[in-house]
Amino acid sequence: MPVDIQHYNQSPRRNAEFIKPPNMIKAKVGTGGLSDAILDRAQKLLENTTVDFAPLAEIYLASMMKGIRRAQKPEPDDDNEFLIAGVLYPCAQLKANGGMFHYPLVTRIADRFVQFLEVVDQIDIDALEIAEAFHTTIKAVITAKIKGDGGKHGNELVEALNDACMRYFEKNKHNLRQPEEAEF
Amino acid sequence: MTYRFESLKVLVVEDNQPMLELTKSILQTFGVGTIFTATDGEQGFTIFCQSNPDMVIADWMMQPCDGISLTRRIRNDKRSPNPYVPVILMTGFSEKRRVIAARDAGVTEFLVKPFNARDLYRRIVQVIEKPRQFVRSEDFFGPDRRRKRTTAYTGPMRRKDDDRPAMPAPVTPEDIAFLEDGD
Repeated sequence: MPVDIQHYNQSPRRNAEFIKPPNMIKAKVGTGGLSDAILDRAQKLLENTTVDFAPLAEIYLASMMKGIRRAQKPEPDDDNEFLIAGVLYPCAQLKANGGMFHYPLVTRIADRFVQFLEVVDQIDIDALEIAEAFHTTIKAVITAKIKGDGGKHGNELVEALNDACMRYFEKNKHNLRQPEEAEF
Repeated sequence: MTYRFESLKVLVVEDNQPMLELTKSILQTFGVGTIFTATDGEQGFTIFCQSNPDMVIADWMMQPCDGISLTRRIRNDKRSPNPYVPVILMTGFSEKRRVIAARDAGVTEFLVKPFNARDLYRRIVQVIEKPRQFVRSEDFFGPDRRRKRTTAYTGPMRRKDDDRPAMPAPVTPEDIAFLEDGD
């Protein structure tokens, strides 16, 4: 079809309505912000939390392992997104909560795995091996109660896992998300 | 002068009990007067309808109803008492496509976990001081997904509709950075 006919036949441009709701919160709270003393007190409270993260981490680790096992032996109706989510979501919980409860190394390690899964297209056997390595490492950190960043040993653990991911990417270039999918 | 948070009503929806308590404690330290809590999106929506809070802080990953579904219901369900309420979504995800999914559901601000007290405070300040206009189109209702104009034109504005916002633009990395940083 000629370009000018396509132009004539195009659907009407959709209209959008713009609404400016009244700022009720501002009217309630006024101006001026909160003092540094209040923010420092809130931060102290966060840093001094006595919550034991280990039982929570065990739940997420068990869920992650369940996801790994399911992906190793998928049901006929399982699609790839479902299988990835089964491993990714519990690991994202470990990433999110580790650092909130004195385990920043768990956050750092889990983040590497979340980023790995965001790049991988299909969760294959090699990817599941890497998943198990991350699982084992996070479990070891929790069992050994390695709070803080883990120092030199923590860095070595992260580097070893990073290297495993890089080797996977090198070997499985066909199984990586296309840039436009990953970047929009 | 400082903020008077004592008349503020905030709903926190989080399935992880220690995290829920921690968030609640931080808000109490900020001086928030009333804090409602729920442990999943379903319960969160029920409490939202009953209590009509000024702000919602929700976790993304919850069972059976997650923070994204809760946000969609707040924005689009006929029973919602305030579809314009600011929603701050807490999550371990920081990847662009996840952020965009949250934005497209109508989330106002995105708070990546783990966070510190000032991170949470900054998101709250953002919704107070820089409220976003809402957009209603055929397929979207929620806070305007654009954060800043991209036009380089700095000359005088003479058209009648110059003060009207432009049509939604495609997502840019700046949009995502703004959504993540809340700056």
